[in-house]
Parts: sequence; C-alpha cells; structure tokens
Amino acid sequence: MRIGLLTEGGYPYVSGDAVLWCDRLVRGLAQHEFDVYALSRSEQQEDEGWVPLPPQVRRVRTAPLWMSSEDGPVLGRRARRRFTECFGELAAVLCGASEAASTPETDRFGNALYGLAELAREQGGLAGALRSEAAVRTLERACRAPGAHREAREARVPDLLAVAAHLDRALRPLSLDWYEDDGLGAVDLCHTASGGTTALPGLLARHFTGVPLLVTEYGVRLRTHYLTTPDAPPAVRFLLAAFQSRLAAEVYARAAVVTAGNAHARRWQERCGADRDKLRTVYPGMDARPFAWVGESPECADPDTLVWVGRVEPAKDLVSLLHAFAEIRRREPRTRLRIVGAPADPGGAAYLEHCRTLAAQLFPDEADGPHATGDNPVSFEETGGPELPGRADAYAAGAVTVLSSVVEGFPIGLAEAMLCGRATVSTDVGAVVEVIGGTGLVVPARNPRALAEACVALLRDPERRARLGAAARARALELFTIEQNIEAFHGIYLEIVSHTPVRRAVLDQAGEPLPFAVPAEAHVPVRWAAARTPRPAVGSTGWAASSPVRATGSVTAQEAAR
Amino acid sequence: MNDSGSPGPAATVSPAAETTVDREPGTEATATDRRPSAPRRGAADPVKALIHRHRELCERAVDPLEIAAGLEAHGITDRTAARFRHRDVFSLAEEMYARVSRDGDAPLPATPAAPRPRVDWALLTLLPGTLCAAAVTALHLTQGRARLCAAAAGALAVALALRGAVRRGPLSAADRVTPRRTTLWICWLVTYSLLGDGLLDSAVTGGPDGLPTGTADGSWPLTATPLLALTLACAPAAWIAHLFTVRARRMLGTSRGLEDFGAAVRPLLLGAVALFMSALAALLILSTEALGEPAAPAEALTLGALLFLARLLTTHGFTYAPAVVLTATATVQAAALATVFASRLPGCGFLATPVETLVTTWGAGSVPALVCGAAALALLVHAARKLTSASAHAPQDHTR
Repeated sequence: MRIGLLTEGGYPYVSGDAVLWCDRLVRGLAQHEFDVYALSRSEQQEDEGWVPLPPQVRRVRTAPLWMSSEDGPVLGRRARRRFTECFGELAAVLCGASEAASTPETDRFGNALYGLAELAREQGGLAGALRSEAAVRTLERACRAPGAHREAREARVPDLLAVAAHLDRALRPLSLDWYEDDGLGAVDLCHTASGGTTALPGLLARHFTGVPLLVTEYGVRLRTHYLTTPDAPPAVRFLLAAFQSRLAAEVYARAAVVTAGNAHARRWQERCGADRDKLRTVYPGMDARPFAWVGESPECADPDTLVWVGRVEPAKDLVSLLHAFAEIRRREPRTRLRIVGAPADPGGAAYLEHCRTLAAQLFPDEADGPHATGDNPVSFEETGGPELPGRADAYAAGAVTVLSSVVEGFPIGLAEAMLCGRATVSTDVGAVVEVIGGTGLVVPARNPRALAEACVALLRDPERRARLGAAARARALELFTIEQNIEAFHGIYLEIVSHTPVRRAVLDQAGEPLPFAVPAEAHVPVRWAAARTPRPAVGSTGWAASSPVRATGSVTAQEAAR
Repeated sequence: MNDSGSPGPAATVSPAAETTVDREPGTEATATDRRPSAPRRGAADPVKALIHRHRELCERAVDPLEIAAGLEAHGITDRTAARFRHRDVFSLAEEMYARVSRDGDAPLPATPAAPRPRVDWALLTLLPGTLCAAAVTALHLTQGRARLCAAAAGALAVALALRGAVRRGPLSAADRVTPRRTTLWICWLVTYSLLGDGLLDSAVTGGPDGLPTGTADGSWPLTATPLLALTLACAPAAWIAHLFTVRARRMLGTSRGLEDFGAAVRPLLLGAVALFMSALAALLILSTEALGEPAAPAEALTLGALLFLARLLTTHGFTYAPAVVLTATATVQAAALATVFASRLPGCGFLATPVETLVTTWGAGSVPALVCGAAALALLVHAARKLTSASAHAPQDHTR
C-alpha cells in the first residue's frame, strides 16, 4: 500500500514536531511505501536538514510555507472574476454573513476552498491574486456586508491587510503542484500528521483524485491556534479563528478516520464537528525498553523516597507538592523527596529557584547523628549526571512517583512511571485519569492535603504499592507502547483502504485507457464494504476506560485493582 | 492504611499544618470545620466569580471555544465544570461568553511600525552626489591621459555609490518582489543625459568629428549638469520616499476603509513627486551656477521624475511597469539617435526629419525631455493607481 504522509514543520526535518512518532511509524510499517509531503516552517528548519530516511520512504517532496512563492501568471479577466467570486464566498463565510442560500455553512466554505484550488490548478497565479489589492477589497466588502459579525464589521484597514496576509500564508498549499497523478494522486491513502493547514493537501487530494484521508491529531490544531495566536485586534483574531474552525470542520467532515491522542483531544474534535463514528483514540506510543529493567526489578526502589520527574514550570505546581511533602514528613519523618527535572525556559528557572527557597524554608537540613554532615530531605536533581544517568534511573530511585500538575496534556511522565512499575499519585488534570485508569491514586489538583494523604497511604503499605505498580506496568505495556501505536495505525490503514479503495483508470503509454488492465476479480461482487459494523474505538476497551480511584482525604481510598 | 472514615485523617492533622497547607487564608475554612457538603466559596453564582477571575480572557475572546481553550490552560476540567453545574468546559465557556459584556470600544489598532531614519542610508545617499562633484572637478583640473583615468574612476565610483544607495534604506526594493533587470536601461538613460545632447547636436550638423574630450566645448560636448544634479538628488529622494512611506503607514492606521485610504494617499503621492521635482530644480540651478554650463532644465527634470517614480514603484513591490517603461524610454532615445545616423544612408533622408525638426525648433535637449516626460507621466498615472492601494503599504512579515 502506498501512503502519502503529510507533515507541516515536522518529519523529515530534524527539528520538526512529532518527528519521533513519524519516524517510528514509517519504520514500523516497512511493508508499506511512504511518500512524504512536507511543508517546512522556517528557513532555519530547512537548513538543519533531514533525519535519515528508511528505504520504504520512496520520495520526499517539500514546499516552504515561510517563503512567499512566485506570483505566477497574472490572471485574466475571467479568471479574476472567478477568483473574486470564490474568495468573496470564503470571506463571507468567515465574516458570518449568512445568505438565504440552502447550502449549509460547511458546504459553502468547502465549495469556496475547492473553487480556489481548481483555479490554482487550471490557471495558476493564485498566490499573486491572494496578495493583490482585489483580495483585500473582497475581504473589505465581506466585512462590511449586512449580516456580518460584529467583530468583522469593526475591521480596519491594517486588520484587513493582516488577515489577507494570513490567508495567503494559510492557503499556500492550494498553489502546490502535488495533486497530479504522479503526486498525491498516486497514493492509496493520505495520512496527515496534524490538522489545519497540514491537512489542506490531503483535502485537495481527496477532492481531485478521491484519495481517502486519515487525520491524526495529538494536539488539536484549533485549540493550539487559540492558545498561541499573538495579540492582535479582535477583528483579526475573529476572522482567523473563524477560518481555522471552518477548516477544521471541513477536514473532519471529509476525513475517513480521525484519530485523537487522548479523550480530551477527542472531545475537542467532536465539538468541532467530527463524526463520532470516525473518531478513534490512538494513544501515543513510548519506547518501553529503557524502562524494562526498572519494571522487572521492583525491589531496587528506596521504600521511603518519593520521586517527581518532569520539566520544571509553574504549571507543574511544585509548591503544592512541597506543602504536601511537609504534611507527609509530619507523619512519616523518614521520607525523602527527589525532584528530578530541569527548567525549560527562564520562567521555569525562576520558578525552580523559588521552589528551592521554599524547600529550604520548609525543611531544615538533617543529619544521621551529631557528627555527620546533614542534607535536605528535598533534593533537586537533573538527569544525565553520574547518579541519575537517565529518566528510568530517576523512577527507579523512588517507591512512589508523584505528579502534582495543575495543567497537563498527555502526561508522558506518568506513563513512564507506569512502565517502570511504580505506584503513582497524581492530580486529576488533563488525560491523567484516562492514562492511569485504576492503577494509581488520583487526587484533586491544588489540594496538598489530599496529595499527602494518598502518598502516606502508599508509603505505609508496600504490598499495595507493589500491586498497583504491577497493574500499572501491565496497563502501560498494553496501551502505551510503540507496538500498539503502530499496530493501531496499521489496522486503520487497512480499514480505510478496504472501505474506500481508490479506483484508477489504468492508462497505456499513449494515454488511452487500457482495457482489462484491472481483472474482474479485483472487484468483489458482494458489497462487503458497505456493511460497516460499528467497531469499538481502539484503545477505549471496557477496562481501559474504567474510572480511576479517588484518594481524597475524606473518601475511602481503594484501588480498582484490588 | 487510612481507609477508616471520612474526617478521620484530616482531623488528626495538627493545627500548625493549616498555615502551610492553606493557600489562600481567609477564603478557606480551617481543617476541622471543613465538611464535604459545605460549599467552599459560598457564592450564589459561582460562574460570576469565575468570570471575574478570568475577566481578561473572557473580554478578549472572540468565540466560546477560545474561552474553553483558555480555561483548560488554567487547569479547569470537565470535573471542575461540573461544580458550576455544567456538563463540560465547552458549555461553561459558552455561558461565560454570553454573560460577559463586550460592548466596550475596541482599542484602535496599533499603527504598523514605520521604519525609522537611520544613519547608514542617510550617509550612503549623500555619497553619489559627493563623488560625482569630485569627479567633475577632477575632469576640469586634469588633461589628456589623466583626464581619461579620472573619468573612468569617477564613473566607476559614482556607479558603485549609486548601487550602495539603492541597496538599503527607503530606496531599497521590497523583499517579496521579483527583481527585474533595469540597470542597463538606467545606465543608458544617465549616459545619454551626459553625452547624448552633444552627440545629437553634432550628428544633425554632420558630426561628430571626434570622441568627447570631457569638457563642455568641442565637437562632442559633455553636459555634466544633469548628472551632477541627479546624483545630488539621491539624498532628497531617499528622504522624500521615507516620508511617503511613514505618512502612508500612519494613514493606514487611521483610515476607516480602503477608499478612504486611497483618497488620502493620492495627494500624498502627488506632493511627494512635486517635492522631489522642486528639490531637483533647486539642485539643478545650483549645479548650473557651479559648472557654468548652459542650462537644460527640462531634460534633467523629466529624467529625474522618471527615475524617482520607477524607484518608488519598485520599493513598493511593483517592478513590472517600471521595467517596461524604462526599457521603452531607452529604446526610443536610442532610436532617435539611430534615425539621424541612418538618414545618411542613400535614400533614407526622410528618417531624420522628425528628430531634426525637434532639434532645430527646441534644441537637442527636447528629444530626451519629450521622451522622458511622456514616460514619467505614464508612470505617474500608474503610480497613482498602484501606490494608493493598501496592499502596497502592507507591513512585510519577516517570519523566516
């Protein structure tokens, strides 16, 4: 099977996002061929080069998103009118002007988008047209039209220019020459590594040649857009958000299957219009090998040590952890806490310094006897030194792994601790509950007392620790390994291709259709593809979705694994 | 294991723990009287407090999903949303979006940052004029072979200085444009202004009888005044272009619509061209006085206007029209010269009639003045259409 892998600022560039995942996917599915279509994000990224590619990657085509392409031929009068019509329709949808037409909103957006793409394919010159004064004028007209949204009506000239520039950038994939029969037209399946602009080539390939589209989003693109848009006037943010959400809806509507990295991402996708039947959860895969020795030798843990591993930043709420540890020390005086991690940015460094000060204030240095040198029960360390060569050693050092975040996406650290077979206490944020299932204790965020309760409960009960750790390791090996990730995508590929096979007319060398090129047996006479039985989402089997155990101070703490 | 009962573990906590555990003293009751059923923050409208806490997020948001994303980034989950009697964060965000009043006037968008004048280009634009003046002085002071050397060195130096002046600052071309080769045609036009009139004059009367000597007399005289004035005009041209850009950017921020903007920029453009013409005229008078040559103001003025407009269009990303017009102008000038020489062939005497008529009526300078004037007018009409569009003044994004 030939798979077109679409990325934006990712694989195969060394500094790309999600390179590791794509690399593992491509290497893991060596039985398929991969064509990589990459949009690069910056000049620096292009200069840094590619990761080594395995032989199953047959071709790589790249296009820069950061550089404005050539204007192309100047459009003729008729093409210009067509451009104005399509772009005006697009702008009208973004501004929220609802015509009395019977076509629903998504169709209008899609029609405008495909209209522009067809124009670019037949005439070229779309890039120049998007940068022209006509585009800005069309945008202005749409914003001033009756029925336009209030925010859009307030757009001033600089706002219009900013929106036009953003749209030009976002619609650059429309001008690419990837959609011919020797490009994306030749693949059996388009797999995009994220939503948004990345998925545009996939949408167009589906539109032009009927190639099915698979969308994988580990972080929902629309949500990232909201969180990362720089400060701009409301009109600009409104129009751009409208574009992104309409595009997301169109992508979800046209995709054959949409995969999410966790239930949280899935809820966003559902909210943005993805059909429930199309959604699958495929958990990110992690390399279990570095953690195997820890998981297989649970006795190496120090029974009185708590470990926190992660990147130091305010969202991790280490202050809360330190307060909880004060409570733990009061009840279990021999306990120690090891905080392993480095700050990611200057803000994180300042936070780390703050935490060090707080730890020094809360806990005086201690020594074994009057003649020994003492040290602090809370230690701040980093991996990579002789004492802790890797993250696995950090997890190995403690009996209980603690997660005290107030904000969390997919908690990688928690999954690693599970792979190490460690009992965990974590706060109820992000996808924690989904990851931990019933194999660890979960407390509310910003509640040091509850965190302390749960930790003390585990510290006093080695047998329970061992049981939870074993269950956690079994769960992690079942759900969060690379193998399951690749296996899931393999299954989805087969499913999509069996349901929506691309039928191509085989041509001979003169370009004439070749009769009998496809044997009659290629088409199964019964319509087995149509009989689609709803299958359960990958990864959300019954026991995986079981509710976690709450270990608040007042509620009885018990684990489902009991 | 502390599986015994609800308040048990909490009750065993010593009172000293409260000072460390409670994060917000005053909002939270002490550990002993905290009951699971007691509301933590006993407000009748918990969402109102939440809106108050995230006021900035709510007022900034353009749709409910933005509030949802922001709330989640602050650690609010569906389970937190349940406390506010909502099914999930999305419906909580919808309520918050609906309840926040956003009818305050949006702040005026910040005017796109205009480029500031810098020392480097200000000095660079002075260089061509200075070098040209030095070269002309050298031509006057030297003789024979040394004069030839001085002329060559001067030409090279002025060419390099001009190149430097248009490489940075307000006269530099926009990043996004596709460069088009106009250097050759500009060189031709400038050379013509230097040597063309003398050649045409002598050609009409049957010459030229020898190569130019580098002085204003002789059979093929050199007219250095236009060149000196034009090179000196680099500095005012840069400043006027800078002024035009800055004022246009400011208007971008204050105008309500594209029509408004166009109407406001048109007089600005005409003013900029007029300002440049007057500066050039003043410089022409100065150089005529200094060099003591006969004045030919129309030719230099029209050529200056043509080059200024072409540069202005190029700096704003329109390269096609300037390239076409400059090519056409240079071609017509060359053709005018060629017809005079071609008329010497037997049977082709009629070819020179138009040019000869012009030269005898208004002088040799009228030919380039007419040609450049027509070209400048065409470019002015084009610029009035193109440079008054907002997209010509859009700030460039430098995301690389």
